[in-house]
Amino acid sequence: MRKVLERVINLLAMLLTASRPVAAEDIRRTIPGYSADSDEAFHRMFERDKDLLRRIGIPIELRPLDGWEVDQGYVVDPNAYRLADPGLTDEERAALLLAAQMVRLGGELAAPEAVLKLGGARTTGAVEPLSADLGLGAETLGELFGAVTERRLVTFRYRGTSRRIAPYGLGHRRGHWYLVGGTNDGQRTYRVDRMEAIQVEGRTGTFRRPSDFDLKTVLDHLAWEGGPNAATTAKVRFSPEVAWWASRQLGSEARETEDDGSITVTVPVSNPASFLGWVLTFGEGAEVLAPPELRQSVINRVKGLA
Amino acid sequence: MIPWVIANPGSSVEEVCRRFGYTESDLAQDLNIVFVCGLPGYGPGDLMSAEIVDDEVVIDMAEYFADAPRLAPAEALALLAAGMAITASGQGGDALEEAVDKLSAVLLPEGSEVIDIDLAAEPELVGRLKSAAASNEVVAITYTSLSRDETTEREVEPWSVFSSLGNWYLMGYCRLATDRRVFRVDRIQAAAPIGETFTPPANLPPAEARYVPSIEDVRARIALGPGARWVTEYYPVDIVSDRTEELIVDFSAADPLVAARLLLRLGPDAKLIKGEEVERALAALRQRILDVYRD
Repeated sequence: MRKVLERVINLLAMLLTASRPVAAEDIRRTIPGYSADSDEAFHRMFERDKDLLRRIGIPIELRPLDGWEVDQGYVVDPNAYRLADPGLTDEERAALLLAAQMVRLGGELAAPEAVLKLGGARTTGAVEPLSADLGLGAETLGELFGAVTERRLVTFRYRGTSRRIAPYGLGHRRGHWYLVGGTNDGQRTYRVDRMEAIQVEGRTGTFRRPSDFDLKTVLDHLAWEGGPNAATTAKVRFSPEVAWWASRQLGSEARETEDDGSITVTVPVSNPASFLGWVLTFGEGAEVLAPPELRQSVINRVKGLA
Repeated sequence: MIPWVIANPGSSVEEVCRRFGYTESDLAQDLNIVFVCGLPGYGPGDLMSAEIVDDEVVIDMAEYFADAPRLAPAEALALLAAGMAITASGQGGDALEEAVDKLSAVLLPEGSEVIDIDLAAEPELVGRLKSAAASNEVVAITYTSLSRDETTEREVEPWSVFSSLGNWYLMGYCRLATDRRVFRVDRIQAAAPIGETFTPPANLPPAEARYVPSIEDVRARIALGPGARWVTEYYPVDIVSDRTEELIVDFSAADPLVAARLLLRLGPDAKLIKGEEVERALAALRQRILDVYRD
């Protein structure tokens, strides 16, 4: 391990300070630890070291050595390498470190070691009795994050067909990650855990985000609840036994509380089918009062007619 | 660590260790590695100088490492997601919000609107349960069980509060069940400290929310159509066979009513293949709902 560290530190120092790209052969001749081995061993070792550096965010680029573009060499552009310092205070770094220790992505902590790059933080060692598991792993999400922030196109397979989209935004709701993007048929939302064979294209800055793009609104209205495009408005009565639970799940919708503890709620509905499913989770505790079509569809479902 | 020490000359060993999570011997070891690295030539004038002098960490000849390296995309996403998630839980505080704003400003050049993270909205109860866990206070809760469909009063020694798959959970020792239990926070109607403290276990079990089927559970075999495949992600099921147009699963729950409600909700997307108790519960449920809609 010690040898690897020495080699990698030397490699980074060399590429950072080189005024022009360095050919692999020169790297092999120069850095101790590479020189003594066979061609094959060197290439394997060199690939591994480059991977290690890239994984921690070091931008190693392959560039032509001359105008003919026949030979290529490696370089680390100091400007691309440098952390854009957000200028956190000690207190802010400590809060961020604590948050990173409370949140999991794909079973792993949310990169608390990355706080070291921001200047590190003193930990108190206390364990907070609060944690959050955000499902997917940071590797896939990191790739999509890069695509969103650098405006690179993304291709993937979804429900058996290939897609190519302009990724506008990435978000998490109700236990799932979603990628929202522009397609030839308008804006679409995809569940990240259902995207297969994800490829992020190389060119950056390939699209413009619509000026009225609003990720929060898109994600908030994924479910049956209406928002601005609600098709209809429903009135539902919840019995005293389930009123508390219905209130919890609903937002700020208008509601009236009766003397017996039951509540009547008016909610915008954009997707009647999933609204119906939601109402039925309350069993006999919920009654759709209006509109008549929705009331009838509950009765039909319960009678097994639909 | 190197850029920070370069930017803060004269830092003590103790400061560097606490800030970067080092033990003193690990720090000395890492400085020794840095000491033998440097620029091509690798003579005395090319190597970095890194040592501990009079309890101060001194790094020289390393100007090219004066800047910290940028965050990898996965690191950037993870830090932002962690900050936003804890802020969304209502338990973040001003320093964290400020940290997320500053990070967003440098990581999201097009504005912070391209990333959005929210957790199920239970901040009020989550905050109270978390405080109770932090101060080892026993709480009395009114709880409606998802798998048994019954409401009970119980005293719980709260160990931790966590969010998983879109729901908040409370984990702790339940004095009614005399065992460890995991409760869904949105099923807790009321919670109040009873004025008693407890000693939490030295090592907390991992925060996991999955329902563990028991031998006394009611089982039902159900065929799921394409529109009902999501059930496998939210309920404890064993997959019996999987064809694209039909997924057959064995479903277990402590109360047949749980399966009956699910079947009703899925409608034509699901079909009960086997399970007499669930069939009876479903028929009774249909009748009770029709009674409500009769007038």
